[in-house]
Amino acid sequence: MDKVEMGIEEQHEMVAKAFVNHYYHLFDTNRAALATLYHHTSMLSFEGQKFLGVEDIGRKLTQLPFEQCKHFISTIDSQLSPFGGGILVFVSGNLQLSGEEHQLKFSQMFQLIPLPHGSFCVQNDIFRLNYG
Amino acid sequence: MDPDAVAKAFVEHYYRTFDSNRAGLANLYQEGSMLTFEGAKTQGAQAIAAKLASLPFQQCLHNISTVDCQPSGPAGGMLVFVSGSLQLAGEQHALKFSQMFHLMPTPQGSFFVLNDIFRLNYA
Repeated sequence: MDKVEMGIEEQHEMVAKAFVNHYYHLFDTNRAALATLYHHTSMLSFEGQKFLGVEDIGRKLTQLPFEQCKHFISTIDSQLSPFGGGILVFVSGNLQLSGEEHQLKFSQMFQLIPLPHGSFCVQNDIFRLNYG
Repeated sequence: MDPDAVAKAFVEHYYRTFDSNRAGLANLYQEGSMLTFEGAKTQGAQAIAAKLASLPFQQCLHNISTVDCQPSGPAGGMLVFVSGSLQLAGEQHALKFSQMFHLMPTPQGSFFVLNDIFRLNYA
């Protein structure tokens, strides 16, 4: 791989890692602020239920039936999505709900698309619990 | 055709090919395709097919639990998110896995896999 390719490869991994840390930190400490990461054409599939647009998505996430939670991330994989400069991010980890004895396992994928000023927003979001 | 039905049909075809004719998977990727398999990255249909053919088991059977899909953008692509279990011949317990595909349309009206990420879900 030449130097330019190495740079791009490292870049999307860095973006993916930074995004994942930011996303789950917000989720666990200020769930309402997650809305800042989506826009009007964003799509969420949450355990098979589909939501379109930042308002519906924000409402779903803030209405989830638990007050406190903590995400523990096990793996983060990313790839470039060549058409449109997006980054695909694939996460697996555990979700601890307050008051629950056992952690839930989950997998989640995001497509991040670049915004004009160098940040990213979530265009696609699919979340699934991994049952034992 | 309904996108969910398209995604489901592709997923069934992919795993049927994986389980009965692993070399045939090469036809589902192209030169720009990328695979990340348990963290290891491979690019291009030939290298990907070689990686999948070299996996350390002869026979396997994928059982699919969930398939979710969403359109990926103006180029007509589809993101497909799969979870299921993988039974290897001779192993007592099935392995759980999650996989995401980014499918792009071909001129012939079918799809190829542009992005593919696979992870086992350990207990």
